[in-house]
Amino acid sequence: MSSFKRDKKEEEDGGGNPFQNIEKTAVLQEARVFNENLINARKCTQILTKILYLLNQGEQLGSTEATEVFFAMTKLFQSKDVILRRMVYLGIKELSSVANDVIIVTSSLTKDMTGKEDLYRAAAIRALCSITDATMLQAIERYMKQAIVDKNPAVSSAALVSSLHMTKIAYDVIKRWVNEAQEAVNSDNVMVQYHALGVLYHIRKSDRLAVTKLVAKLTRMSLKSPYAVCLLIRIACKLLEEEDTANDSSLFDFIESCLRHKSEMVTYEAAHAIVNLRKTTSHELVPAISVLQLFCSSPKPALRFAAVRTLNQVAISHPAAVTACNLDLENLITDSNRSIATLAITTLLKTGAESSVDRLMKQIATFVSEISDEFKVVVVQAIRALALKFPRKHSVLMNFLSAMLRDEGGLEYKASIADTIITMIEDNPEAKEAGLAHLCEFIEDCEHTSLAVKILHLLGKEGPRTKQPSRYIRFIYNRVILENPTVRAAAVSAMSQFGALCPDLLENILVLLARCQMDTDDEVRDRATYYSHILKQKDQGLYESYILQPLQISIPCLERSLREYLEAPSDTPFDIKSVPLATVPTEEEKQATVQKTEGILTIGPSKPIPVSREENYTERLSTLPGIQTLGPLFKSSEIIELTESETEYVVRCVKHCYTKHMVLQFDCINTLNDVLLENVRIQLDPSEGYIILSEIPCSKLPYNELASSYVILQMPEDLPSCFGTFGAVLKFIVKDCDPTTGLPETDNGYDDEYILENLEITLGDHIQRLHKINWAAAWEAAAARGYIEMEDTYSLSSTNTLEEAVKNIVQFLGLQPQERTDIVLEGKTTHTLLLAGVFRGGIEVLVRTKLALADGITMQLTVRSPDSDIAELIISAVG
Amino acid sequence: MGIFQKLVSFLGINKKEVNILVVGLNNSGKSTIVNHFKDGENKTHEIVPTVGFHIEKFENKNLSFTAFDMSGHGRYRDLWEHYYEDCHGIIFVIDSTDTFRLIVVKDELDTLLQHPHIRNKKIPLLFFANKIDCPNALSSVKIAASLGLERIMDKPWHISCSNAITGHGLHEGVEWLTQEVRQIVATKKY
Repeated sequence: MSSFKRDKKEEEDGGGNPFQNIEKTAVLQEARVFNENLINARKCTQILTKILYLLNQGEQLGSTEATEVFFAMTKLFQSKDVILRRMVYLGIKELSSVANDVIIVTSSLTKDMTGKEDLYRAAAIRALCSITDATMLQAIERYMKQAIVDKNPAVSSAALVSSLHMTKIAYDVIKRWVNEAQEAVNSDNVMVQYHALGVLYHIRKSDRLAVTKLVAKLTRMSLKSPYAVCLLIRIACKLLEEEDTANDSSLFDFIESCLRHKSEMVTYEAAHAIVNLRKTTSHELVPAISVLQLFCSSPKPALRFAAVRTLNQVAISHPAAVTACNLDLENLITDSNRSIATLAITTLLKTGAESSVDRLMKQIATFVSEISDEFKVVVVQAIRALALKFPRKHSVLMNFLSAMLRDEGGLEYKASIADTIITMIEDNPEAKEAGLAHLCEFIEDCEHTSLAVKILHLLGKEGPRTKQPSRYIRFIYNRVILENPTVRAAAVSAMSQFGALCPDLLENILVLLARCQMDTDDEVRDRATYYSHILKQKDQGLYESYILQPLQISIPCLERSLREYLEAPSDTPFDIKSVPLATVPTEEEKQATVQKTEGILTIGPSKPIPVSREENYTERLSTLPGIQTLGPLFKSSEIIELTESETEYVVRCVKHCYTKHMVLQFDCINTLNDVLLENVRIQLDPSEGYIILSEIPCSKLPYNELASSYVILQMPEDLPSCFGTFGAVLKFIVKDCDPTTGLPETDNGYDDEYILENLEITLGDHIQRLHKINWAAAWEAAAARGYIEMEDTYSLSSTNTLEEAVKNIVQFLGLQPQERTDIVLEGKTTHTLLLAGVFRGGIEVLVRTKLALADGITMQLTVRSPDSDIAELIISAVG
Repeated sequence: MGIFQKLVSFLGINKKEVNILVVGLNNSGKSTIVNHFKDGENKTHEIVPTVGFHIEKFENKNLSFTAFDMSGHGRYRDLWEHYYEDCHGIIFVIDSTDTFRLIVVKDELDTLLQHPHIRNKKIPLLFFANKIDCPNALSSVKIAASLGLERIMDKPWHISCSNAITGHGLHEGVEWLTQEVRQIVATKKY
């Protein structure tokens, strides 16, 4: 009692948080009071509050500690104090995951949830569901069903929400409560209706037809609760997205009608849904946009924020529709809420005309210093989009960005600015010089090593090709004098690029590199020695292969191969060609990622470094018997579906190409919950020349689990017969099993088979993509080194546009498009596509295709490769 | 304790609170016995197997009992010990028709008596040989013999036949318990 008084006194003194200095061990000691014969409700409530506070502050209780407290707490059930009892419920919920034997309170809670005291009932249900596991649930099922249809809305809601949580652990039991949930949907209470709909949807969500029926029924019923209507809109949207039918279905009509609902929440939800539907036409968009426009001038900040945020998202997909709101958005620029203002401006930047750019940039400048880094990144992204849209405005934007670069900011913010400048440099030759100058200035005072290294690399790549390369040398060399070893090493590499590409600067560079050889850091010295030695040879071929062309193999694979080589020493030298090549993301993938980042406002943690497909599979394949003799994995294809997605068994195939072998990996999923498959294997009917070396079946395939079976094939010597179509049949032993336990009912099953779609082996499976920095130089060098050249002309009758032709060729040959030649400029009738790659066994392939659009498309294909068979193969494969 | 309270307790006017543990195998009739002592309006009409435990309160002769009605199912018997520490009396209910499981009862009883919280304390033990009305029920003497109750020297114990449904024998047993508890509480206090 005395401690309680002191607490109170401190509170009066304005001492802030009374729980600030409590300690776990002390509180656990105090909790012994719970065991006393006569319970002091006030004191116990106080202690329980402390325990809950500690748990919510992230304090961890050990299992024994928690159990001890939990059992002490169970004794508080004898007290009739309402407040204490409700605290006990909370305590039970918090401790249910840590303490042992929490099941002990089941009966006490069941008594409370069915008792007369309404204050206890809802909380008791919640606590009860948190201590119940799947096996115990059946014992309380009857009470839960009653609670769902209870007259008291709080009780009904608690039961519904708890069942929703429990669908995760005991879906099959909850499924049986569908009738009660159905009844609760008709409730008059706003929340009960909403929660009941949630439960109903979760019960039925795996059954599309049932969901469709549910939605159809409820849309006609006109729900009372706005929350329920919002949820219904979301469900309807999901159905619409999955369905392939046009938007004029009844579902869309329902969403549209919700735009006229009297609740703002529902109207917004409907507008948001329409705007975000993938197939919405601009005509359908109009009413939704006008609703959002109305919200823009609402007095409620939350509504304004929601509206402008949604408009910001649409601005990417439907800029024209948002233009109608420009006037309202302009008003929001001066909004007192900075988040709203930022979003308004970035939306305007996305939709605005070229003429308004200057004015808007000036507007942003006035408040950019007041907003947080996250929103600054949004602004930078908007500027990036703008720069791509209006290349002519680059000077305004560039100046603005450089001013932002000079401001204070975190790494993420600075990195996004640097990235934007780099994109502008790459996309717009006019902006190059100015952009490089800004970046040079930036690295003079850059505290982020990673950014400095990135910019130095860019300078090395772009600098030598500018009109006046010498001006960048000073900036780069300054880094060698001033920065940390990592940056110094990067600067040395950048300088050597200048030496290799600008003959008139070579002498000076050699002098600078000689100085760098005296550096204190090993890496810097090594690099300087390496580069100066190569540069002294004055041989363009050496420059090309050792300075200008970066290492193109996947680094993790290189590491693993080297380790394997060291573990098993042999007389043959290590062959770097045996290491799989790193995959370069294609232009399409890059754009997809850019669009993704633009569309999303929140900035998550940076993505992990992408690992190549081969990298992932090597790990798995290495466990197969006999795989070691095949050599290193050369290429893994993309995943090919061999079944329709909705069938009994789903089979996907990945083709792994080795130097002389092909390994086919079949990933199988059994979608029937009442059968167990055993000895699952694929019977292949390979085309002529292929020899099946071994089959590795998968022993067991339970319901909804992925398991793989493999086939190892030897490829024919003769190259043209490497391509072909394989018939495939899935063979297995079926055993009936109990759907709930997954255990087979009988020991003897029967054989069965399932015919799969044919599997095709194409040219692309044998070729790995390769990225060349300077394709033209490589092309010339190939001629000089005596590569075989072959040429042929074709007419492509099936395609009508250049884009389509380019896409088909790239896909068919499996080569890497170079120097952005996979993008066809609009309105052109001719196009040259440059490709490069490596055939299995490490044979280089360079391809040039000239396309001309006349009545059909005419294509001239030139192949250069050291091996005449492969050159011929490619020529003939296209034909 | 204030002077007034002392006076009141001396005169035995005030009610003393005591904790009673009700244990026994499942289906021996624990919840039914506890239910019998409750007030008319609080009585439940249907008794279902207890999961965990119930807390019930009832009064007898100025003594206010808080009964911890424990679940008798095998998997919950380990949990009884959490409540041994601060109980003043134990009611052990035995199904006298279940001769087959008497050995289990003995096992459980021995574990209970050996528990550190019980062993050295003078806690009164009341045994109810329940379901005595059934035709094949064993007599209380036989049960006491087969459980080896005579070996319990350091604790007061008593066995009484009962029929929890009609209430026969229950009051007699609880009367005894009240007396014992009162004695112990009195000696402890002064």
